[in-house]
Amino acid sequence: MSSEPLLRVRGVHRSFRTGPTVVPALRGVSFDVAAGTMVALVGRSGSGKTTLLNTVGGLDRPDAGSVHVDGTEVTALDEDGLSRLRREKVSYVFQSFGLIPVLSAAENVAAPLRLARVAPAERERRVELLLELVGLADHARQRPAELSGGQQQRVAIARALAASPRLLIADEPTGQLDAETGLSVMALLRGVVESEGVTVLVSTHDPVMMALADRVIRIHDGLLDEAAAGQPDEPAPDAG
Amino acid sequence: MNRWLTRRWPAPHWPSVRGRGRADAGALLLTAAVIAAVTLLAGAVPALLRAGADNAVQDTVRRAGQGSNVLVHANWEHDNGPTGGRVRMTRLAEDIDDFRARATYLLGPDLDTALRPPVAVVNGPILRITGGDVPRTFQFTYLAGDLGGPDVTWISGSAPGPAVPEQFIEIPSHGPPWPLQVGLSETDATALDLGPGDRIPVQDGHGQDKDVRISGIYRPADSADPAWQLAPALLRPVPGADGVGTTRFAGLLSRESLPDARLAIDEDQLRRTIHFAPEPDALTWDATETIASQVVKLKAASGASADRSQSLKWESQLDTVLRDARTQISAAFAQAAVLLAGVLTVTVLVLLLAADLLVRRRAPALRAARQRGAALPDLGTELIIESSVVSLSAAAVGLALARVAAPGVCWTWSVPVVLAGAVAGPAFGILAAARASRDRRQPANRAARRWILATGQLRRAVVESAVLITAVAAFVTLHQRGLLPVASDGDAGELTGDLVLPLGAVALGVLAAAIVLLRLLPVGVGFTLRQALRSRRPLAVFGAARAATTAGRALPLLVLVSATALASFALVVGATVTRGLADGAWSTVGADARLDIGADADAATPALAERIVAAPGVGQVVVAQVTDSARVFTESTLLTPRLVIVDAAAFQRLLATTPLPDAPALARLTAPGPGPGGVPALVRSSNGDLRTGTRLQLSRDDAPAIHLAAVGTAPSVGGADDVVIVDATALADAGLPAVPNTVWVTGPGAARAVSNSGVAADVVLRADVLRAQRVAPLTAGILRLAWTAAAALLALGLLGLTLSAAAGASERWQTLTRLRTLGLRPRDARWVAAGELLPPVVVAAVCGPLLGALLARLTLGPIELRLLTGQAADPAAVLPWWLFGLVSVALLAAAAVVVPVESALRRRDRLSEVLRAGDQ
Ligand SMILES: Nc1ncnc2c1ncn2[C@@H]1O[C@H](COP(=O)(O)OP(=O)(O)O)[C@@H](O)[C@H]1O
Ligand SMILES: [Mg+2]
Repeated sequence: MSSEPLLRVRGVHRSFRTGPTVVPALRGVSFDVAAGTMVALVGRSGSGKTTLLNTVGGLDRPDAGSVHVDGTEVTALDEDGLSRLRREKVSYVFQSFGLIPVLSAAENVAAPLRLARVAPAERERRVELLLELVGLADHARQRPAELSGGQQQRVAIARALAASPRLLIADEPTGQLDAETGLSVMALLRGVVESEGVTVLVSTHDPVMMALADRVIRIHDGLLDEAAAGQPDEPAPDAG
Repeated sequence: MNRWLTRRWPAPHWPSVRGRGRADAGALLLTAAVIAAVTLLAGAVPALLRAGADNAVQDTVRRAGQGSNVLVHANWEHDNGPTGGRVRMTRLAEDIDDFRARATYLLGPDLDTALRPPVAVVNGPILRITGGDVPRTFQFTYLAGDLGGPDVTWISGSAPGPAVPEQFIEIPSHGPPWPLQVGLSETDATALDLGPGDRIPVQDGHGQDKDVRISGIYRPADSADPAWQLAPALLRPVPGADGVGTTRFAGLLSRESLPDARLAIDEDQLRRTIHFAPEPDALTWDATETIASQVVKLKAASGASADRSQSLKWESQLDTVLRDARTQISAAFAQAAVLLAGVLTVTVLVLLLAADLLVRRRAPALRAARQRGAALPDLGTELIIESSVVSLSAAAVGLALARVAAPGVCWTWSVPVVLAGAVAGPAFGILAAARASRDRRQPANRAARRWILATGQLRRAVVESAVLITAVAAFVTLHQRGLLPVASDGDAGELTGDLVLPLGAVALGVLAAAIVLLRLLPVGVGFTLRQALRSRRPLAVFGAARAATTAGRALPLLVLVSATALASFALVVGATVTRGLADGAWSTVGADARLDIGADADAATPALAERIVAAPGVGQVVVAQVTDSARVFTESTLLTPRLVIVDAAAFQRLLATTPLPDAPALARLTAPGPGPGGVPALVRSSNGDLRTGTRLQLSRDDAPAIHLAAVGTAPSVGGADDVVIVDATALADAGLPAVPNTVWVTGPGAARAVSNSGVAADVVLRADVLRAQRVAPLTAGILRLAWTAAAALLALGLLGLTLSAAAGASERWQTLTRLRTLGLRPRDARWVAAGELLPPVVVAAVCGPLLGALLARLTLGPIELRLLTGQAADPAAVLPWWLFGLVSVALLAAAAVVVPVESALRRRDRLSEVLRAGDQ
């Protein structure tokens, strides 16, 4: 492949200090992700998935190593730079959906567009489109509390896509959902990779969900399984 | 084997208790500090007021002077002799001693300790001194305490002796005047120009000469001896005692000459009275009720016995004086209770807020404990142990400090605070722990969700209507019943249980209003949010969204609104009392300074006024003749109002340029044109006997009465309620020239000019009167309490603001961090935080003072502030707007500080950490 990978992670270390003990959460992680793919990050609880995703998305800083997203060195940005990065290139979906409770679904989706100061007409058009995309066009005016968990996560995904990011990071987006709903959310993510051309990095520990990914990266005690790290863009072994 | 027992008794896990205590030492210490400070206030204030109450009783009795004496009269035995004449009763002095002893015995032990040793006074009739051009009167008097009369030194001649040496003598009833010896004071003798051996030329009311001779001239050993006050003419001539322009002289009788005094005048003209002056220092608030009822009993028993010599007639105003003092003190207690109830209400709310903060901080630990399998009763026990230790020890410290600061300590008021401190934390904690073990997810079923919502709203509505109904009931009770305890026998004057409702009216009113505001706040914030959504400013949207999310939180708004409203109420009370005292001083004095000129100097008054006008710093000088108890007739009755003869124009100017109430009606006194058929007068009366249109006659001794016509309502002069004012020139034209005896002076130099006037006159300075009122024990106590309560409430409000900011902090930063993941810049985050914190602060800053002012309007009457300020009518609430402004500004400034401080503290937090904390 001639094109640069969208995401390049090199030698990332991160450890946490709790009192006298030092917990190494990431112990030298390197991998690339090509644009327009959906990559599943898989590992047991406590293996370092969240830490890795936070470091990739600029929510946390590694002790050592570098992260490049779409040519921008994330690890070298200051707070304002990170804010711009989040507004333009990287967005997040969390396990707890993190919607603003007093705003309607549509207004929640519009939030990043407001921060990016998109003109109202353009904003409304985009929100409509995104709600259509996540299948919630009929629920635009409802508040999060009036939506089911799956619907809320769909709103969160629409919001994450609002500003047309290059990379969408989702940390266990199905963690609070039942299996069926979780699968449909995962399928939605799969869909947006195709329709929006966004790159998705999603952590999960559900094998069924893994099946939807283009590629699976396994993490264990802060280290990637060699196979996955060494051979970028290899299709997932157990993809069906 | 003891499984049943171990099951039954919750087993606290001590390491957890210690660990939690250490982790949240700051919050616990803060709670303890609040409890200690408020307990100190609530413990010391009632004790200080009680001590003040004793002082107030003593003060009132002292100010009442002889009016509070207990007097007892008794008739004499007849002195009819066997042959139809009168017998010289040689044992008259011993008789008086017996009478005194019997009266003392009848007092009873309670009164006996409250009264000074008695003084017997025997007075002859008022005789006229013949000759001379000014009317002079004379009276002979015998004074005898337990140790005899007051000491005197005879500087010439000797003490009065008996007229005849014989033991028994009977004289004819209508014989020549019986000779009587009296002693004369040095000053009286000089004024009369008489010496030992001289006869005083006196006549009785029938024009019959009396044979009164001077045996000697005496000088009092101690003119401050209280016995002299019962007959001041024995010290020096007393002007005005027997009418305007008269002077009274007096002769001192001895044990030996007393029998002659009886024969020198008609039978029954010699009057004997025992005077008991109260001993102010021996009076206490506790004893007042017993003493007053004892006095009432004595008065009721007067004259019950038909036997002429046995019948004692008791007379005293002491019971009324004491009752008035009790009413005033009860009012002060009630006012203090109203203020304290406010402080306690806000304290309890702040403690709830602190408990809420603590539980929010501990929620993860409590959840974890529950997941480990800790039982709710065990957790509850642990939390109760902790909170009880904190609040009880804090209260003990507070009460101990109160004991140091005050002569006693009252713990009842601390109960709600200690209870709130001990119970709120565990209650919130157990709720949080119980919730943690329940399913956290919303039920998927819509109907179930709606049901939960509906029950929650119903519960809230029930609580709110309970508060509203109680508040309304409290106001109704306050207005119908007032705040003073119902006087009844055996009433200790303490605040009784039935007063709880009216005493809490202000605090309940504030709570009720805060609840209404709590309902309105989401509406207002929702409106703001809709406006913001229409705007193009993302920060406005997120700030408003935060505000809307948190607008339902009850405690922050309740604390802030109640604190500011009650602080403003306390400020109104303080300002109103201060103004009341100032007005009272103006009304008492009538100007910056007043000269009350003695009867002998009145001719010089106009010249004196001119001298004062010329002094530096003097504004206006108004001269008047003020006569109390002037005899005025209407068609039907005789009235005795205060008659003020003054230059109406000058007096009107004086009123207009001072804080005294204006009286434009004064212009009618000098209005030209057809007279209303008499000298125009302004009238004022407490019972409505005098009103515009009434025709009056001013009676004079030896000239035809002057007709007056009431043409308007007079202002109160010197606090008198019955007043007649006439213009000096108009009255002079009608034939009665004024003899000025009062000079009112205004201006910064008034005090000095009046004090240097060089005239024998009483100087009354407004500054002195004001100072005396300010240091009066109750007034000073309530004023100090009002300012302290205002400061404490403001401090509690600021603390509440900080606590509610801290309680909401973790959720707020969660949200802000989520917004950061959407691209919100760090420096913009603080505006969003401000958007959340500001609405309750702004509502409190704006509505608090207004609410306080409104409640003051509604309650200042029923809480009887006028009893404290001594005003005739309920004072109008004085609204200290700039102090209100200060309260609001302090709150807004604190909010403006909290946000950047919080942002600075949180700047170093990594987003990942905040998000992880939120996911737990
Ligand atoms: N803020 C932190 N403080 C201390 N330890 C942490 C912190 N964040 C993560 N860790 C530790 O790092 C390891 C990896 O955690 P995490 O990335 O959350 O794993 P995963 O998301 O796969 O469950 C765990 O052992 C966790 O306990
Ligand atoms: Mg994780």
